[in-house]
Amino acid sequence: MSNKVAIIASNGGLFDAYKVFNIATAAAATDKEVQIFFTFEGLNLIHKQAMHALEMPAGKEHFAQGFADANVPTIPQLVEMAQELGVKFIACQMTMDVMGLTSADFVEDIEVGGAVTFLEFAKDATPTLTF
Amino acid sequence: MNITQTLDAKGFACPMPIVRTKKAIDTLNSGEILEVLVTDKGAINDFAAWSKAGNHTILEQKEEDGVIYFYIQKA
Repeated sequence: MSNKVAIIASNGGLFDAYKVFNIATAAAATDKEVQIFFTFEGLNLIHKQAMHALEMPAGKEHFAQGFADANVPTIPQLVEMAQELGVKFIACQMTMDVMGLTSADFVEDIEVGGAVTFLEFAKDATPTLTF
Repeated sequence: MNITQTLDAKGFACPMPIVRTKKAIDTLNSGEILEVLVTDKGAINDFAAWSKAGNHTILEQKEEDGVIYFYIQKA
């Protein structure tokens, strides 16, 4: 069985970020090799400024208290933890070009690549997840 | 039981108990025992799955006053 987990992060809200990083850190802590491909709004999740202010879905803002009560780590904490556990981040070059972003806009140690970079990793990953 | 190290992960939500346990077990030698204290109810199934994936053995687990104790022997 493959020891790889491939994740596509294509949405940029707070809930999306938790879905992506919880699975990624849990997988990495279970000795899986994990790569996340950040594309379109998903780039928010590793953007130096945006990751600190990700929005909740409209009408769900009341969950803020629930996050605090459950002692859930913040997204920047999860990002740091994921990288510490060896999760590899790939930012989509095409989306960055469209949005006028460069590597400097993102957290350290990301790789910038195209879809093929990710597909090559994902071809024998089980599972591949999309958020 | 000869406990090598204790990890207090009470109050932490998923995925922190597993992430912290992973970091702690990395510091142990094969055969040594890690005691983990958690309050996250999801941990009961998570620790079973995590231990299975890493071939670690849960020697014992118990729940007292809302705290779950795991005794994990490193593979």
